[in-house]
Amino acid sequence: MTVLPPKGGIGVPTPLVDGIEKVTGRARYTADLRPADALAGAILRSPVSHGILRGVDTTAAEALPGVLAVVTGADCAVPFGVLPIARNEYPLARDRVRYRGEPIAAVAAVDDRTAAQALALIRADIAPLPAVFESAKARGPKAPLLHDDKPGNIEREVHQSFGDVEAGFAAAALVREGTFTFAEVNHVHLEPNATLAEYDPERDRLTLHTTTQVPYYVHLTVAQCLEVDTARIRVVKPFLGGGFGARTEALGFEVIAALLARKAGGTVFLPLSREDTFLTHRGRPQADITLKLGLTADGRLTACAATCVQRGGAYAGYGIITILYAGALLHGLYDIPAVTYDGWRVYTNLPPCGAMRGHGTVDMRAAFEALLDEMAADLGLDPFAVRRVNLLTAPATTLMGQKVLSNGLAECLDWVERASGWHKRRGSLPPGRGLGMACSHYVSGTSKPKHWTGEPHAVINLKLDFDGAITILTGASDIGQGSSTVVAQVVGEVLGCDPGRLRVISSDSAVTPKDNGSYSSRVTFMVGNATIQAAESLKAILVEAAARRLDAAPDQIECLGETFRVAGIQDTGLSFGDVVREALIDTGTITVKGTFTCPVEFQGDKAIRGSAIGASMGFSYAAQVAECSVDPVTGRVTVHKLWVAADVGRAINPLAVEGQIQGAAWMGVGQALSEETNWRDGRGIATNLLDYRVPTTADSPEIEVHIVESLDPNGPFGAKEASEGPLAGSIAAIMNAVHDATGVRARALPLSPERVFELFAPNGA
Amino acid sequence: MTSMPRFRLHRPTSTADALAALADAPGSRPLAGGTALLVNIRYGLEAPPALVDLSAIPGLDGITVDEDTGALVLGASVTLARLAADPLVLDGWPVLARAAACVAGPTHREAATVAGNLCQDTRCVFVNQSEWWRAANGFCMKAGGETCHVVPKSDRCHAAYAGDLAPALLVLGASVEVLDGHGSRRHPLLDLFRADGRAHLALAPGALVTAVIVPPMHGAVAGYAKVRVRESIDFPLAGVAGLVRRDGDRMADVRIALTGVASAPVPVPGLDGLIGQPWAELAAANVSEAVGKVCIPLRTTAASPRYRRAVAMGSAVRLLGDLWSEAGSEESPV
Amino acid sequence: MTSVLDLTVNGRARQDLVEDSALLLDYLRDVAGLTGTKQGCDGGECGACTVLVDDRPRLACSTLAHQVAGRRVETIEGQAKRGRMSRLQTAFHERLGTQCGYCTPGMIMAAEGLLRRDPAPSPEAIREALSGNLCRCTGYVKIIESVQAAATEEAAP
Repeated sequence: MTVLPPKGGIGVPTPLVDGIEKVTGRARYTADLRPADALAGAILRSPVSHGILRGVDTTAAEALPGVLAVVTGADCAVPFGVLPIARNEYPLARDRVRYRGEPIAAVAAVDDRTAAQALALIRADIAPLPAVFESAKARGPKAPLLHDDKPGNIEREVHQSFGDVEAGFAAAALVREGTFTFAEVNHVHLEPNATLAEYDPERDRLTLHTTTQVPYYVHLTVAQCLEVDTARIRVVKPFLGGGFGARTEALGFEVIAALLARKAGGTVFLPLSREDTFLTHRGRPQADITLKLGLTADGRLTACAATCVQRGGAYAGYGIITILYAGALLHGLYDIPAVTYDGWRVYTNLPPCGAMRGHGTVDMRAAFEALLDEMAADLGLDPFAVRRVNLLTAPATTLMGQKVLSNGLAECLDWVERASGWHKRRGSLPPGRGLGMACSHYVSGTSKPKHWTGEPHAVINLKLDFDGAITILTGASDIGQGSSTVVAQVVGEVLGCDPGRLRVISSDSAVTPKDNGSYSSRVTFMVGNATIQAAESLKAILVEAAARRLDAAPDQIECLGETFRVAGIQDTGLSFGDVVREALIDTGTITVKGTFTCPVEFQGDKAIRGSAIGASMGFSYAAQVAECSVDPVTGRVTVHKLWVAADVGRAINPLAVEGQIQGAAWMGVGQALSEETNWRDGRGIATNLLDYRVPTTADSPEIEVHIVESLDPNGPFGAKEASEGPLAGSIAAIMNAVHDATGVRARALPLSPERVFELFAPNGA
Repeated sequence: MTSMPRFRLHRPTSTADALAALADAPGSRPLAGGTALLVNIRYGLEAPPALVDLSAIPGLDGITVDEDTGALVLGASVTLARLAADPLVLDGWPVLARAAACVAGPTHREAATVAGNLCQDTRCVFVNQSEWWRAANGFCMKAGGETCHVVPKSDRCHAAYAGDLAPALLVLGASVEVLDGHGSRRHPLLDLFRADGRAHLALAPGALVTAVIVPPMHGAVAGYAKVRVRESIDFPLAGVAGLVRRDGDRMADVRIALTGVASAPVPVPGLDGLIGQPWAELAAANVSEAVGKVCIPLRTTAASPRYRRAVAMGSAVRLLGDLWSEAGSEESPV
Repeated sequence: MTSVLDLTVNGRARQDLVEDSALLLDYLRDVAGLTGTKQGCDGGECGACTVLVDDRPRLACSTLAHQVAGRRVETIEGQAKRGRMSRLQTAFHERLGTQCGYCTPGMIMAAEGLLRRDPAPSPEAIREALSGNLCRCTGYVKIIESVQAAATEEAAP
């Protein structure tokens, strides 16, 4: 991939290095790479939610002219799953189907019509079993079991207790417990899933272009499921139309495409429709939360007791991590002396859930901020004041062992309070209109990789050659967030060179170093730090070369932009080209590497079970205010404006950081107002973009952003994450604004017109 | 690549050729903007042998005012984007511009037409799904099956009509021009519809709606309130059109029609008692009751019937109150 | 059934043998090789396939190729002239009106349609004109700013 250089270094608003391709239509996404002669892939899905798969008869489909391959569960006996300890999903169902829409068989044919005809000829013999679609029922004594080794359909229970919670509640002036329900939501990355799989039978090699945030995990998973050596596989991530967590694990369709290509001995393009993409799911699970908080009369938190039940769907996916995250990030935002958390991840006969922006933490945080708002009101305290008395002061170590080394939340609070005119306007808005506020936070990368290999957490290569151009080779997946731009900026900043020398090549396993992928907001932090190291190595080589040419010691060399000279001497010095030529003598092409590994002290406290989840080197913080009005007739909530301040440590690219914050806050608006997947008895009735209601421009607020830079000591140039933390806060700020506007407290989301209407007139009263 | 079933496409340049093409292969369908029909074909909801594209027929896209009657004459192929922005319409029949502007999204409205919107197929959560979804659920009677999943014991389909123009045109007393092999005839708009989700149009096979005729407003004011989750793209959960003619502090005419709540647009009867009354609490109660009596939505959308009924009643009351005020302000000298 | 389709795509006259039932989207992507126009949904709900037909925006996924016979079709690929980006493309690039880029072609084409009929739109008019184009990355803020910036540049003397 050839990309254009950014315009500036650190802290300069910089258009994306691959932006021109995107605005001109030249950017090629997976579906745009389909060769004209590629075979068409298609997937047959289970029509029932739960059943014994007694057999799949593919005889007629295989006999259909134009069909090159048919695959079923018999073609792959290796289960997959992102967590090595929880691999229980087959790319194509074997013996059992556990959700309606689960892949059963797939075909590769000469064209789409033939593929569709072939699917219609496949006969799946399924003996239906009782199915269960709700967490509470799935945990009941009579519930059918989805997985024989998981009694009660519990994938994972988590019980954590820190400090003396009972004493905390006893010491509180006000204790309140609230029950909250959050609907399941989906990422709706605008590009539907697709894989182009090319198999060369002569060489026994497989190349995948696929819609993923984690090409490395796809590589491993496909190798495992196809039982081939990883060396025979190449995975390329082309331009990617968003991810938001949906694509942070290898998914079944990617393995299916590979199986088809191998069996057909050629190239297969497997596109998923929007409905298929919804059925692949991996969204944020429906969650039932109970939360109990204790506050002193002046608003200090004395204790927190939380429970969370997540409706996980039919397979493990990221489930264990998601249920751990819900508890882990009860810590790290406020200073709470005692916290208990009990979580249950439950199997149900629905498409599997996964990681979604703010992974696991969002619903719990929204519930927390809503309950805190309610309690503050009862104590007659201002919502800002309650947050302020509970702020965590950096440096701090939380009860769970998380290390907070920078925290700009106080400044975030100050800004949103001032910018929104909080004290002047709250309470004096017209009827039906109100203001609400909330805070949230998130990790800058999970410090402990899911696959322990002993390798560094990030690796980046720089190549400098005769032409004076520097090629940045990174496995980091740019999914639209701008990671390629960040690495280019970092290299440009360290080397001080003309950005026109820089090119970024990313995410091709044959070319770029391995990267774990774009998830948990790890890339800027980890890859950014690796990039600094690589660029500094390269700079040292150049300085040494310049010193050689100038007969000086390296520490005498100063770099002014692209000019290298001996400090203090009025000389024209050497040009960049001169220095490169000198540097290449005897060595030829220069390649340097940078790596980064999160020190073990940031990987959780070994004494605390589960503390690797939520362990990070830096926490981002955000505060926001929402202004909402509510239509008294229809119950429709309008969010007029959001003020968001986020502590991102340091904004390497303020333009992209602003865009990320706006996008995260806005995604919270969708979850707060209108989005829900809506599986009715296992049937997806919102598996399209009409009934799954992503807000349009007409429903979306103005969003004013303020960037706070707390300069994290571990972050690259002080940077932390920016794109996940602000999401939860906007949900809670909207819930609180709706209360301010109407006097009713929402305990269930989304705040769809119907749900708000019910709050106004419960039971039709 | 989208898997589309194969069909023939005719692009006639006269209505006579269009009728001939429609008659040529039974089951052929007229194609207007295509924003609904082509999606339904993609979903496998229908598989016509041929489509007859009306867009190349000259003279079907006029917006004119009949000089004798003062009526607005809208050609079948007038796009909703034009209807929403046309000065004649905005001046004399602004409710039509408003209703047109409420349909789907702006790019849909560039293609979607007046007749296409009037005739668009009914919708249901059990119907507007992929072939796989409907097969897995057991095909319903609207597409290939025997039963209605909304009302399983019913002998008819309950899919809901969701056009936004029809209720506005109904309160304005519009009629439609229908052309078939026997010639052109004018019918009251309501006669175009029947309460059957599977066959909601009382049009003979191969007949075409060629124009919509809207009488002048004669000092009445009218409005359209569309209830939906999002302010764009969405079909109505309930849509309420209202008309008020005010004579001083009394109502001289009151009309309401609904969409999105039954298999055909629903005119609301029982409003005659309001004539001669001022708009007041009692009138509001009467409106609410009259709407509630005929607004009986079923489980055709993800939103509950209870909500859709209640919000139709509430919206009707608010709309009429607003229209009453608007009529008053128009009456009073500036 | 296939028949000859005559039309203009990005200023070039084309003649292709096209199936009657082919969608304009598939014609553009698979026959004309213009993959800039995207498909994001199953039924005209996302706007990613927006193109211009005789200067007006149109959903290529809900239009038959033959319906635009004889007309001027423009796609995102036709917006840059001699490699120089249009004012909207420049604004979307410089102001981050694009993140993942998948909605961008449709978004720019819808905005281009707006600016051709209303060269100086209000923020409300921009919101309205783009309300059928879903974006999942930006929260629309920088998209609206990009269109405003492009319009302002247009309106400037």
